[in-house]
Amino acid sequence: MPELTAPRIVGFLCDFAVDASALTAPDGTMREAPNVTLIKVPCSGFVRPTWLEFALRNGAAGAFVCGCPLGDCFNRLGNNLIGDRVTQLRRRFERQKIHPDRIAAIYFGLHDQAGFVASVKAFSEHVAGLPGPVVPAPRTAGGASVARAAGTAGAGGPAGRPAAGQQEITAPEGARPASAGARPAADAAPSQATDGTAGAPGA
Amino acid sequence: MYSRLLARLLGWTLRLDVAINRVYPEDFNPLYYTGGLANLFLTVLVLSGIFLFLYYVPSFNDAYTSVQFITATVPYGVIIRGIHRYAADGFMIAILLHFFRNWFTDRFRFSRDEPWISGMMLLLFSGFLGVSGYVLVWDTRSQLLVSMTAHTLGAMPVIGGYLESMFIGSAGVSNLLLPRLLYLHAGLATFLYIMLWWHYVRIRHPKVWPPAVWTLFSLGLILLLTGLLPAVSQPTARPESTPGTLAVDWLFLLPYVGLKVLSPLVLAALAVVIVVYGLYIPYQLPETPAAMGIRDSGVAQVIDANCTGCELCYYDCPYNAIVMTPSPHPGVTKAAQARKLFAIVLESRCVECGICVGACPFEALELPRLLESDIQQKVVQACRS
Repeated sequence: MPELTAPRIVGFLCDFAVDASALTAPDGTMREAPNVTLIKVPCSGFVRPTWLEFALRNGAAGAFVCGCPLGDCFNRLGNNLIGDRVTQLRRRFERQKIHPDRIAAIYFGLHDQAGFVASVKAFSEHVAGLPGPVVPAPRTAGGASVARAAGTAGAGGPAGRPAAGQQEITAPEGARPASAGARPAADAAPSQATDGTAGAPGA
Repeated sequence: MYSRLLARLLGWTLRLDVAINRVYPEDFNPLYYTGGLANLFLTVLVLSGIFLFLYYVPSFNDAYTSVQFITATVPYGVIIRGIHRYAADGFMIAILLHFFRNWFTDRFRFSRDEPWISGMMLLLFSGFLGVSGYVLVWDTRSQLLVSMTAHTLGAMPVIGGYLESMFIGSAGVSNLLLPRLLYLHAGLATFLYIMLWWHYVRIRHPKVWPPAVWTLFSLGLILLLTGLLPAVSQPTARPESTPGTLAVDWLFLLPYVGLKVLSPLVLAALAVVIVVYGLYIPYQLPETPAAMGIRDSGVAQVIDANCTGCELCYYDCPYNAIVMTPSPHPGVTKAAQARKLFAIVLESRCVECGICVGACPFEALELPRLLESDIQQKVVQACRS
C-alpha cells in the first residue's frame, strides 16, 4: 500500500444523502481521496458527536458528517440536529485544545456527487494544514495545564514559570490537611443535628 | 414501474433543489418551506376573511352590492379583497407544491401516513373553500357555478336529487343558499385548523412558518398583485337568465372546466378515483426496509440501566415516537439512579432513523442491528487501514 501523505479522515455518510456507491471502494475509502473513509449511517442525526471525538482520539486527523441539504432531511430534522451538535462539539473542542476545524458537518443531496467530492477534498486539505498534534497530550498531575488564574502564567517569564507552578501545586497541598481536618467536623455537625431532630420526636 | 417513476421524479425534484440552492442559501430554499408558506397564506386568508366577513351580506339582493361596497367605499377594502383573493391562489399553489414534493420525495413512508391523509383532507377542503368563495361574490360566475354544481349533483344515480336539494337548501335556488355557503366557507376554514392539528400531531417541531425573507416576499407579492390586478367581480347575477361563459380560475375551478368535455357522472367518478388514490398513496409501496432495499437497523431500544429520563430523545425524535413515562425503578448507572422519567419507544411510530441514538449522551439508546460498538469498530478499522 502506498504511503499516505494526506491526513486520515473518517466521514459519516447518511444513507439518504449523496449516493457514494460509485465514489467508494468496497472498504469505504473514497476513490478520489483514499485518505477518506466513509461509514454509512441511517441518518446524519444518528451520529453521536462522541464518535467524531472517538475517531480523532483513535488516529484520525479529521472527521465529518454528511447529511442531506438543510431543510430536506428525509427524517425531517436529522441534519439540523447534527449541525447543532457539531457546533456544540466544536465549542467543547476549543476548551479541550483540539482544533475545532478538525470536525465538520456538510450537506449534499442524493445526486450532488461532484459537490460532495469537492467539499471533502477541501476539508481534507484544510485539515492537512492545521497545526499541532490532533489531540493534546493527556494532562498529568503538576503539568502545565493545571488550572490557574488567568494572566498568572506569563507573569514570571519562562524562568520563573516552574517555580510559580510549583508554588501553586504545593499551596493546595499545604492547605489540604487543614481542610481535611475541618471537613469531618463540618460533616459531623449536621449529622449530630439530624440525630438530634430525629431523636426529638421519640424522646 | 411506479417505483421507478417515483425514483425518477425524486431525481428531478432533487436536481431542482440543487439548482435553487445555487441561487439561495439552502436554508432559504422556498421548496423546503412549502408547508410553512401554505400556513402563512392561510393565516393571511383568515385575517383578511374576518375583515370581509364584517361587511359581507349573504342575501341575493345585497351580496353583490356589499362586495362592491367593500371594493369601492370601505377604506382599504379593495386591498383587503385583493389580498384575500391572491392569498387564496398562493395557498393553493403552496399546498399543491407541498403535495407533489412530499409525494416525489417519499415523505409519506412509514409512520407518516397520518400527515399524508390529513394533508389530502386539507387539499380537498381548500378546494371546496375556494369554490364557495367564488360563489359568495354572487356575480354571473357564482350563478353558473351554483347551477353547474347542482346539475352535477343531480346527475348522480339514486341519491342525486337528495344531494342537489341538500346543496341548494330548498326545492329551487332560494335566499337560503348564500347564508349556507357563507357558513360553509367560514366554518370549513375553521375546520382546516382541526385538520392542521391532525397534520402536525405526529410531528415534532413542524416547520410552521417560512423564513422571514419569504414571509415578506410572499406578502409583498400579494400586495403587488393586488395593486396591479385588483380583484373584480363579474357582472351581477340575474336569476332570470343563465350566463353562457364561465370566467375560469384555473386553480380552483378546473373541475368545472372538465364538465365541458365530461358527463357529470364521469367527472364525479374521476374525482372519487383521484381522491381515493390520493389516500391510498402511502399504502401503495412495500413498507418493510428489506422490500425497500434500505438498511434494516431495527426499532430503537432503550437501555434501561443507562436511561436518565433527561428527555433529550423525546425532544429530538422527529416523529414523536418516544414518550416519557414515570420511571418504574431507578437505573443502574450513577446518572440514572435518581431518574424520575423513563423513555419508551413506540414501535409503530419508529422509522429506525437513529436520531434518538445521536441525541442520547448517556448511551441509553441503540439500534439493535447497528450498535455503537459496531460504529466504533468501523472507525478504528478506518483509522488503521
